[in-house]
Amino acid sequence: MSNRIYNILFHTHTISGIFISLALYVIFFAGSFSFFRDEINSWERNEPLAEGWMMGEMDFDRVIDSLKANDTLVNRDISFNQYYDEQRLSLNISPPKSVEEKQTKRRRRGTFKYMNTQDLKTYDYKSSYSLGEFLYRLHFFAQLNFYGRSGYLLAGIVAFFFLFAVVTGVLVHWKKIVSNFFMFRPKASIKNLWTDAHTALGILGLPYQFIFALTGVYLIVGTTIMSPAIVKFIYEDNTEKAYDDFGFNPPKYSFSGKTLQSEYAINPFLKETKEKWPQFDIRSVTIYNYGDQNMHVSFSGMADFDRKFASAGIVTYKVSTGEVVSEENPFKAVSYIDGSRAVLKRLHFGDFGGISVKLIYFILGMITCFVIISGVMIWLVARDKKHVSPAKRKFNAWLVWFYLAACLSMYPVTAFSFIMVKLGLQDPSADRVAFIFQVFFWSWLLLTLVFTFIKNNGLTNKWTLVLGAVLGLMVPIANGIVTGNWLWVSLARGYSDIFLIDAFWLVTSISILLIALQIKDKKTVPDKAEKLMPA
Amino acid sequence: MPANKKHLSPAFLHRFSRISAGLVGGYLVTVSFFLALSFLWDKVSVLYTLVFGGFLLWVALLLLAFIAEKGWKVWAIYLLLTLVFSSVVYFCKSTSI
Repeated sequence: MSNRIYNILFHTHTISGIFISLALYVIFFAGSFSFFRDEINSWERNEPLAEGWMMGEMDFDRVIDSLKANDTLVNRDISFNQYYDEQRLSLNISPPKSVEEKQTKRRRRGTFKYMNTQDLKTYDYKSSYSLGEFLYRLHFFAQLNFYGRSGYLLAGIVAFFFLFAVVTGVLVHWKKIVSNFFMFRPKASIKNLWTDAHTALGILGLPYQFIFALTGVYLIVGTTIMSPAIVKFIYEDNTEKAYDDFGFNPPKYSFSGKTLQSEYAINPFLKETKEKWPQFDIRSVTIYNYGDQNMHVSFSGMADFDRKFASAGIVTYKVSTGEVVSEENPFKAVSYIDGSRAVLKRLHFGDFGGISVKLIYFILGMITCFVIISGVMIWLVARDKKHVSPAKRKFNAWLVWFYLAACLSMYPVTAFSFIMVKLGLQDPSADRVAFIFQVFFWSWLLLTLVFTFIKNNGLTNKWTLVLGAVLGLMVPIANGIVTGNWLWVSLARGYSDIFLIDAFWLVTSISILLIALQIKDKKTVPDKAEKLMPA
Repeated sequence: MPANKKHLSPAFLHRFSRISAGLVGGYLVTVSFFLALSFLWDKVSVLYTLVFGGFLLWVALLLLAFIAEKGWKVWAIYLLLTLVFSSVVYFCKSTSI
């Protein structure tokens, strides 16, 4: 590689990295917690999976009877979706159909709600909102969707430049990958320390970071950015046809308008499906034209990950005759589209090896956070030189005080939010969305401002860790006091998800506290810049 | 350690032409390339590959634009490629439908 190309790549890596650093840190920090989105929700709602949760084990006919009590279901489509491993599923009920299909002038909206599979209680979006959902949505900036999908777009741009930074980073470091792999010089200059940490952990985490850059940009903006040209030039604006080809459209079963006279039930079809494919993970059940002669029921999902990594399956029955109308076997060969879709999702969600894979993914996520921070620190110390103008050095110092304050205070803020949802959200009528937003964002703003104006990166590092660890220690205590599910109780009862969250906070808090208290308060490098410039 | 300024181009126009060539031109080349390819191989599979794999090609084209000596040359090459791929799409579609 010529000197010229090396320097250009170096510069693009630096600039793209510093621009996305803060946003990318938020994405990785919140995203790492999102691996445990479902466990956090079980913990927050005190609804352990051990009490049963799967839709496939639900008594559908009882559920439908309970829905009928509120609503007549005849001539509607009803769909049950369980996207997450939690007791609640989402439920869509379409408006009733009539034979004159084309009176679309005033389309009545259907109903959407969440339903607990165990006690059949229903919730709307706001009353089912949770900290797990909040952190999950924070990791693609859903809270910033002020103008249309502006937050998603921002996350997509960040992911795209992250991919760019990963590629340029590897190219810049290319010649030294092998020779510097074991290089770590903590006693050398501060710049060498950050550089060694940045490159060593960057290379170790490279496959992980590459996976997340690519699957991330695909999941959040892939369709938005790439599909308009496809629809326009290949399908000539025929969106319906494009959706059919890509498998977005649900199958259509026409509405006959005649009432189904014979007795019918859903449970026998569920039983038949489970006997047909015992290791089929049912994630979605749809009933078409409930009570109509042309009533159908379909079960879709995928194979368990230990049977098949990438799969998609569906079986549809016609209720009046009991025959299978269409099926796609999840255990047989999978189509290219279904396969790649499933692989990209499994890789991004860490959903292929149970809790151990997610824990490893979480640690790699924290390592990536460190790579981001160390990159910012290299940027700072490399510019903290005599030949750089004092005004620039001052600006750089302030920028990093702010960056570190905003990034590092996410840890205590997250711990604090865990405590607050336990202590402050037990009232079922509470406005959960507003509560979680206010607790998280106000405390984040406060800590960011405080640590920015303390103007000492060493102190920010130490005290965010201590504060986060102390608050984290209180998380299992708060849960024990409020629910009675102390660590040993949930362990004895087999509530593995609740135990996981409490144990997570206990173990990380103790270890971080031990580490943080070792940190000596040293004068940090940016102070030099401050001394040069009388404030 | 900041990159050696000697090798970076300070002129705004030079910089802007390369960045825009990489971002906009790279996007046009990526999309038109996959659209053209979809007439050679299985249409839906190629188009779906664009939705995730297209970003890799785009990033590579962005990188090449930065390395290039002249911004307008990159623009010329990228526009030419887009034109070639688009004409494949144009002619294949009018015969296929």
